[in-house]
Amino acid sequence: MTPIEAFERARRRSAVWIGVGLLLVAAVYVRALVFTPVEAVQGLAQKIFYIHVPSAWVAFLAFGILGVTSAVYLFLKDPRVDLFAASTAEVGMVFTTAVLVTGPIWGKPIWGTWWTWDARLTLTLFLWFVVLGYLVLRTAVHEPGQRARYSAVLGILGALLVPFIHVSVYLFRTMHPMPVVLRPGKPTLPGAMLATLLFSFAVFTLFFVALLWHRYALARLADTRARAEAERADA
Amino acid sequence: MPDNGGFAVAAYIAAAVIYLGYAIYLVRGGRAKG
Repeated sequence: MTPIEAFERARRRSAVWIGVGLLLVAAVYVRALVFTPVEAVQGLAQKIFYIHVPSAWVAFLAFGILGVTSAVYLFLKDPRVDLFAASTAEVGMVFTTAVLVTGPIWGKPIWGTWWTWDARLTLTLFLWFVVLGYLVLRTAVHEPGQRARYSAVLGILGALLVPFIHVSVYLFRTMHPMPVVLRPGKPTLPGAMLATLLFSFAVFTLFFVALLWHRYALARLADTRARAEAERADA
Repeated sequence: MPDNGGFAVAAYIAAAVIYLGYAIYLVRGGRAKG
């Protein structure tokens, strides 16, 4: 099997898993909206929690991977690692966008405002802009080695924000709630809500893996075709 | 209990649009320049 055939196969397989992921996300919607008890104080708006928090988890997972792969690239200079990092950044950007859209829709009925320049919100928005800069940078620099090196440095800088965002609710006076699962000690949620949240965590993580796999297959496919064309042009 | 179900519906629809939109974009080939 040629590399192009292998990546085409990965593309087809991952597309199936994206479909599976979407069906499972629909199952999360049904479980969260229909089969999970309504929280007494916040009411139905609290149900935003079951998509907002798992989206944030995946976004931070993605940018954690971006930071590690960017550092690995600077050591190995392997273009495959660079393509993987770029794929992670793009997919992570989508999840961060979902966080930044669902957060204010939750904030309005509970805090009385769509947005506040609170530490966690501001840092998350800042991370979104850093990753946007990362993706724009990749379209602006055409020499592959230079593009990969610049991107890796920016990727590491963006990833450095992730642990800081997670602990920002402890470091600053903030309106954002404290973690309820990824925290020292046991989770503080009632059982049925925790089960829905953990199901949502698992589904969003699987959906992320499927999207990342597909995005990486597309990147490798485009890269392999570009290299083959360059070789033909040289011959 | 507060009557704020509309916000929950809006957030779920917004997230669905983002995820479904990106999935369709990607499966149709994305930008794919790496």
